Amino acid sequence: MPEMTMHDFPDPQHDPSGSHAAQSLGDTLRWAFELDSSPAIAGAAFLTREIIPAAKDPFDAIIAASTTQHQLEDLKNAYKMLRTTGATAPERSLAARLYAATIAAALVRHGAMISRQNPFTLAKAFEEMSADPEMPERIRELGPLAIDAMGRIK
Amino acid sequence: MRDHSNPSMTQTNWDLIRDAASGSTTAKSSLDAVMKRAWPAVYAYIRATGRRSEEATELTQAFICDVFLARHLLEKADQSRGRFRTLLIGAVRNYLADTHRRATAAIRAPKSSLVAIDAMSESGFDMTSDGSRSSPERAFNARFVAGLIRAASERLQRELESEGDHASWEIFRLRVLQAAFQGSAPGYDEIAPRLGIERGACAAKLLVAKRRFAAILMDELRATILDPNDLQHEVSELLSFLEGR
Repeated sequence: MPEMTMHDFPDPQHDPSGSHAAQSLGDTLRWAFELDSSPAIAGAAFLTREIIPAAKDPFDAIIAASTTQHQLEDLKNAYKMLRTTGATAPERSLAARLYAATIAAALVRHGAMISRQNPFTLAKAFEEMSADPEMPERIRELGPLAIDAMGRIK
Repeated sequence: MRDHSNPSMTQTNWDLIRDAASGSTTAKSSLDAVMKRAWPAVYAYIRATGRRSEEATELTQAFICDVFLARHLLEKADQSRGRFRTLLIGAVRNYLADTHRRATAAIRAPKSSLVAIDAMSESGFDMTSDGSRSSPERAFNARFVAGLIRAASERLQRELESEGDHASWEIFRLRVLQAAFQGSAPGYDEIAPRLGIERGACAAKLLVAKRRFAAILMDELRATILDPNDLQHEVSELLSFLEGR
């Protein structure tokens, strides 16, 4: 483990009370221990904040007018991987919806196609996203708008 | 045959302590493994009682030899069947008190000089260099947790790299460990091109690595307790210490 040695950890000789060490270690440990009770959205929420730190949640990040095409592409790639690496079936299922939503948002907000999937596959994904009662209304509304936008781009 | 090349993956601290005191052919390597785990936390505790670096080093070595090799800790371990951290911290506290009593008796020191260390033994960990509450215990716990995190990190690296996934380890190291212990972490704009992965995929790999790290960390902590029902209590207690509660 050449990149990380004990010197990377807080040295009690310089911090005998361990107060600085305690803060960083507490943060790391709390994160680890809280994972067991994470809801299905936890993974997507983490990925969203990694890409857009100020994002409230994945849905707002996708919908927000301030989200750039570049960020939507990053979100798309992150959710794409979460579709297969998600810890639970609900998490993977949500990731699939969010993946489609990022492509839809890029079409609607930026007039850009950020996927190489064929149009029929995309249209089907948008329809399923719009029909999913577990998706927020603002995400479901993207579906038909994205299908329209896709038609214009062709 | 025990796997001493990687004790953290297969053995609890209790297994190692018993084996170290057993006189078996693997006793020495078990003792080495236990000492490696215990040393930093014991040293941190002793330093935080106000002792200088050299003295703390000598006392830590002496504690390891006297308590581990003399099998006292093993006897108490069998009696308490509890948490390794709790047992160890009590053993260090008592050892320091005993050492101090022996030293002061030898030089016929006035009785008043024993007050501070006796107070530490009786009321907790109140004797520190700056008089702050529980400083030695906090230092011990911070170091104990650092040891857990280090062991978990090393295991995560071994596992990911054995699967050919160096990228996930590298992202975890930069975004989590470097951020926690050095206070800064490079962004995905810097990491992604270096690893030849898209930024979004980097984030997804980090999520997977963090979850795996969490599972390993819990496994490492589980190795320090005997009763699985104590795990949540041990977690809560460690977090309370680290949060200063």
